[in-house]
Amino acid sequence: MFQKTLAFRIFFWASLLLIGGFVFLPLLWMINTALKPTDLTFSSYFFTGPLTLDNIIHIVTDPKIMTYLKNSLWVSFGSSFMATLVAALAGYSFSKFRYRGRKFVMGMFMMSQAFPQAILLLAIYTMMNKAGLLGSYWALIISYVVFTLPVGTWTLKSYFDQIPDSLMESAKLDGAGNFRIMLQIIFPLAVPGMISIAIYGFVWSWNDLLYSMTLVTDTARRTLASGLVMTFLGEASTNWGYMMAASIVAAIPVTVIFVFLQRYFIQGLTSGAVKG
Amino acid sequence: MNTIRNGRLSDKQVGVLLILPGLAIFAAIILYPFVDAVLMSFTDRSMIYPDYKWVQFENYQKVFKDPYFTKTLTTTVLFVLGATVLPYVLGMFWAVVLNQGFRGSEFLRGVTLVNWIIPGTAIGFLWSWIFNGQYGILNNVLKALGILETGIPWLGQTNTALLCVIIARTWQMLPWYMAFLLGGLQSVSLEQVEAAHIDGANNLQTFFRVILPGMKQTAMLIFVLGLIGNLQHFDLPWTMAQGGPARATTTLSIEVYTTAFKNWNMGKAATVGTIWAVILACFSAVYLKLNNDENA
Repeated sequence: MFQKTLAFRIFFWASLLLIGGFVFLPLLWMINTALKPTDLTFSSYFFTGPLTLDNIIHIVTDPKIMTYLKNSLWVSFGSSFMATLVAALAGYSFSKFRYRGRKFVMGMFMMSQAFPQAILLLAIYTMMNKAGLLGSYWALIISYVVFTLPVGTWTLKSYFDQIPDSLMESAKLDGAGNFRIMLQIIFPLAVPGMISIAIYGFVWSWNDLLYSMTLVTDTARRTLASGLVMTFLGEASTNWGYMMAASIVAAIPVTVIFVFLQRYFIQGLTSGAVKG
Repeated sequence: MNTIRNGRLSDKQVGVLLILPGLAIFAAIILYPFVDAVLMSFTDRSMIYPDYKWVQFENYQKVFKDPYFTKTLTTTVLFVLGATVLPYVLGMFWAVVLNQGFRGSEFLRGVTLVNWIIPGTAIGFLWSWIFNGQYGILNNVLKALGILETGIPWLGQTNTALLCVIIARTWQMLPWYMAFLLGGLQSVSLEQVEAAHIDGANNLQTFFRVILPGMKQTAMLIFVLGLIGNLQHFDLPWTMAQGGPARATTTLSIEVYTTAFKNWNMGKAATVGTIWAVILACFSAVYLKLNNDENA
């Protein structure tokens, strides 16, 4: 694409080193700090001095943090599952059925990410408070579904659009009902899309801070993101080793999902944002 | 599909039935809260007292007279512009580098995305540590290089705190821009690029006259989406500085959160939120326009 002139070579190597350093060194510094013994946290060596798993062990044996981790898993799996299911139903409906108001509802779904989250929170908080849901996982699970819904509906709609109507019509002639056709013939063909939406929903829920800080008032139900903020930002003197170890623990699940399911993930990422 | 019946429900009814769960959640979590919040902005509602009354435009008058609100708007504009332009440009450079397809470039692309995938909380902690005034690695490096005599409390002073948050946000979002821009670069017709080179265009001319126009839609959409995302962003200014020091990192999202959930002034929070929603709607309109043009 570019001619390998001297100027381009200089640009290439300078970018590779400088941007590469900016992109990769901070995460290595996080790991490095987490692995240093407590009395050496403030020294500047980079993997070249004594290393220990003490900080990590401290974090994973802390019952409070493990409770947050468990809560995060419940909430993220719950909302990811719900979002995928609801988005699949909606995407299928938009793709294969024609009824009045369809275009309007599609437009509304598409707009939903354009509402400022913090302002919605004011009313969601009041509503969940009245419904008595602030002490449970439900307030978070239901709220997170909304963030995956537009992307999910669009991605899955485009999957269903590719499935020819004749497939459904011949199944109908064979006497299959609408719901059997959906569950046994159409949905299995969209499984890759569903996986990418499930991952998207999981990561969103796992990483959210604002809603989990607000919509969960019971400490025993806190998710990891808000739990860690409450744990570490309230302290008078910060233990950076613990903080970096906790950050690694919080980052591992989403990173593992990403590494193993990267193909689905990038698909979800690109189809979601550009197709709206 | 035509109207073959399956006994009880017509196709139309099935279609509507399938959309109901999504519609119900949308109504409960987006539509109703939004209307409720806009109404709230005309009341003196607070979290502490259950009673409230209508105050018409009193909240709006107060907010627009409030010198802090102007400051919040300026901070938001600086943050949104800085935290979009910086990772956009660096993400473009990085996409050009990775697009060269050298050995290991696929691997680098994957590892880069890890920065974007991990929780904002972890990223906020990491950069607070890097910028730490006493023991942070940035100060240590600058001191070792002889650039600084004593450490600077980067996040503790008003003139550097916002920049620190912008840099952390750049680190988080660079992979996201890179992923899209790399896709854009790969969609550009190589024949046209070759033709430009044969006509004697140098790399820069080719980039601005052939490559960038060839990926114009993606390039513009991503920029607008980036602006919208930053206008909504909460995690990093909060974990790194809680909107401080002296409101230096208080953007609109931080302001709404603190007004509502720290000062329990729902009426005022809803007012700021409604003004913010109007700003956001303008950007979203641009996005929808661009997206429709692309699909058309």
